[in-house]
Amino acid sequence: MVDPTIRWKSRKKLNLLNTEYPRVDASAKVTGSARFSHDMRLPGMVYGRLVMIPASRATIESIDLSQALATPGVVLAELAEEDKDQVRYLGDDAVVAIVCGTSPETAQDGVRAVQIEWTPEDNMLISEEQISAPDAPKINRRGNLRQSGERGDAEKTVQALGSADVQVSATYSVPVQHHLCLETHGCVVDYNGGDEATVYASTQAVSGNPGSFARHLGLKSSQVRVVCQHMGGGFGSKFGIGLEGAMACRAARQLKRPVHLMLDRKAEFLMTGNRSGSRQVMRAGASKDGRIVALEVEAFKFGGTSGGSLPTPPYMYQVEEAYAKINTVHQALDGNRAMRAPGHPQASFAMESMVDELAYGIGMDPLEFRIKNLSDEAHHRQLRRVAKEIGWDVHPNRSGPGKKPLASGQRPAGAPLPPAGDHWKEGIGFGVSRWGGGGHGGARCEVRIDSDGSVTSSCAVQDLGTGSRTYVGTIVAEELGLGLNAVKARIGDSALPPGVASGGSVTTGSVAPAVQHAALLAREALEKKLEPVLGAEPGAYTFDKGRVFVTDDPKKSLSWQEACALLGRDPLVVTGKHQGKLADGGVHGSQAVRVAVNTRTGQIKVLDMVAVQSQGLTLNRLATKSQINGGMVGALSYALFEQRVLDADFGNLLSANMEDYKIAGAKDIPRMRALIDDDDMRPTVSGMAEGTGVPGAGAIANAVYNACGARVRHLPLTPDRVLEALKDA
Amino acid sequence: MDNPSAPLPSGQSPPDRISSESSGPSRRAFLGGSSAALASTTLASSAGVARARPQDGPRLTGLSKLTLTINGEKRSVEVEPRTTLLSLLRHRIDPPLTGAKEVCDRGNCGACSVMIDDQPAYACMTLAVDLAGREVRTVEGLGTLDDLHPVQAAFCEHDASMCGFCTPGFVVSTVACLEQEPEADPSRIRELLSGNLCRCGTYPHVFAAAETAQGMMAGGTLDAAGSREDKR
Ligand code: FES
Ligand code: FES
Repeated sequence: MVDPTIRWKSRKKLNLLNTEYPRVDASAKVTGSARFSHDMRLPGMVYGRLVMIPASRATIESIDLSQALATPGVVLAELAEEDKDQVRYLGDDAVVAIVCGTSPETAQDGVRAVQIEWTPEDNMLISEEQISAPDAPKINRRGNLRQSGERGDAEKTVQALGSADVQVSATYSVPVQHHLCLETHGCVVDYNGGDEATVYASTQAVSGNPGSFARHLGLKSSQVRVVCQHMGGGFGSKFGIGLEGAMACRAARQLKRPVHLMLDRKAEFLMTGNRSGSRQVMRAGASKDGRIVALEVEAFKFGGTSGGSLPTPPYMYQVEEAYAKINTVHQALDGNRAMRAPGHPQASFAMESMVDELAYGIGMDPLEFRIKNLSDEAHHRQLRRVAKEIGWDVHPNRSGPGKKPLASGQRPAGAPLPPAGDHWKEGIGFGVSRWGGGGHGGARCEVRIDSDGSVTSSCAVQDLGTGSRTYVGTIVAEELGLGLNAVKARIGDSALPPGVASGGSVTTGSVAPAVQHAALLAREALEKKLEPVLGAEPGAYTFDKGRVFVTDDPKKSLSWQEACALLGRDPLVVTGKHQGKLADGGVHGSQAVRVAVNTRTGQIKVLDMVAVQSQGLTLNRLATKSQINGGMVGALSYALFEQRVLDADFGNLLSANMEDYKIAGAKDIPRMRALIDDDDMRPTVSGMAEGTGVPGAGAIANAVYNACGARVRHLPLTPDRVLEALKDA
Repeated sequence: MDNPSAPLPSGQSPPDRISSESSGPSRRAFLGGSSAALASTTLASSAGVARARPQDGPRLTGLSKLTLTINGEKRSVEVEPRTTLLSLLRHRIDPPLTGAKEVCDRGNCGACSVMIDDQPAYACMTLAVDLAGREVRTVEGLGTLDDLHPVQAAFCEHDASMCGFCTPGFVVSTVACLEQEPEADPSRIRELLSGNLCRCGTYPHVFAAAETAQGMMAGGTLDAAGSREDKR
């Protein structure tokens, strides 16, 4: 039975939700007082470091820990695995030992003193030649290359291609991308022997992890508390406890003292997962009137020892006849993990590029071509909106790449200008996204009201930087008519009522409904206490601006403090559960980009990015904009800079630090506008952040083509690739 | 399909950049000698202190005592020659100052930003032994939870932090930027903040916060200077 009283307030009546307000932990973050796992300092704590062999494949001859153990300050040096004689891939399998020392430096001294004799294998299984050599060892039981998916009718697709007015064949590729969380993976295990432990973990799953830590501590789930008050990024890579979590527990169990094991930056690059790379070999055809009549794709996913991720094409757009064959390629490298919309940016880059190529191929405006081949009305209205914002209507290159710099009047007022010089050409590109979001059951929230008027809202959800801590409080404040900071939010502690793991943008849709339910229950319980005093029955009250009124007789009222005083000695405590009707999945986004391309040097400067994103009811417009910006920045970085570099002979990762693995910085950031799609009037909440990182890379590549005719089909869009592509322009 | 049976279209290696010298003499053979490539990974280099020339005085070893000022307070500390300022702040004083973060530990990201004698610096790239008598300001020395520095207040107002791990570094760099160049225009502000990286993508809100703080530090108030777009 659907209870009609379980609902969000109507939008007109909202005072906090759906407005812009700062997050409640902002001041802790800006003053440096927010404590991350990295920052934990406990009495007697030691620092752990992992010892790795720098090769993707090796035979281990011997490991001598004696010098490490003799190093001043080192308290533990131990093999990761007793009889380990092989490294099978460059990732956690290359970890051979752990060293703990009384300071990070002494632990590092100990690592340096470990003596390992090892023989590199002849075949490091990294490059194409290596993994497909006839005698190449198998990385996966099923081989180094295997077909992992197929959809559609190959023959019909070939026929449809034959009937198309225009056909395009192209291969698109994207490299592996690292999550590059600024806080590395790891945890601080507070264990001093005995039957209780607290683990301060940088994790996306506070509620889900006590059991895993407990196993390695030799304890029961109920004896381990996991705490994550703040975490420095996760992006999909921090669900499990990882080898680092297991080793930290093992060390703490032996030493009976707290162990701080946060990976160093190099290990972070080597063993904490990544976004899989992909290559998509495509043929597509369009009719003159602008329909995509056929698409044939052979895709390859590069997920290291894991399977890689890619939604089966066709992605987003409607195609009359499609055939896709998906292959998984294994390399002796760290396996991929979920990363902000797993698989989608890869699929989007290829599909948005192909859609663009088809549009220009038949001489049609790529915006109109998109609208014609997208089925969701949300995309139509959003695309028109971003097109207007970016200046498509006054843009001269709407049917093909430009030849000349733009004249004034060919950009909207206030548009950022390109650098001076005729060799800077400007172009515009588009992309769209759709994301599931929504939520699922399992989350609980406890609201407690004390007679002094203080209110606490508690849920063991973690805040990855999305603002979940903030809405755990403000949802309750909204329902009870209180101010922004009136409700104390407690999160990030597995001792609290359960949250959910933060993946797939489902945190909001899972947790917020439980919080709202708890708020409604608290309100109802309080109204029952008001009945004898104010005379109206529950349901007949209004909570606003720190007062409670009888709705039909507003003269009858109490201040919040007076109302709570009625509670007496016993606090009011209620527990809310996830409510399916308060959340709904299915969110849409559309983005447009304006770039300038230097046709002499191949340099790309992104000038302007606009995103419009739907999600139903927005809990905090300011934090939502931050999330949308974050998606755009991530996509820009992926499009222009990020590139993993490997050495096939030595089986090593050459880009295992931040000077060799470049990400977008302050000077790379264009004007960015994050717009919330208020035409989505659903009375439900949903997360949306994953979708916002999807379309940007394709949109940027399309804008580069629109500017100067350089069709770059491989990420990152480096200057040399632009210059190369310009030769064909 | 053009060549459906070819596992990887010929001439293309996996989409990462891969260096290989499979043809011609390889570095590996060179390094490993001809017989067998038995690698020995021993990183037990004794401390990597540069050899001092005689006129530089005795070479530093062990612990050195020194006094410096941290956030206005004189502190006597003991450090090794290799101890960085970042390690000193985070590990060698009590209570530790953990606002400055260790992210890359080699001067790439700015998460460890501090001010030394009012100049912005990467704490991870600064040896503590060089700081005798110097004045260090960290994010903890700028404002408190109840009394935020204008830059901190503007960061809150504009939501210029998401996960918050880069935030202390950005706050310090923004303060340094606005103290040194109060008139910096928006593009100059970006220039001065380009030594800091954020993975969550807070940049647009950081810039907005910096511009608001600039107005506040020049005597305005948050509201007067606030330029937040689209406040519903
Ligand atoms: S930690 Fe110092 S610059 Fe990155
Ligand atoms: S806010 Fe997360 S890295 Fe900047």
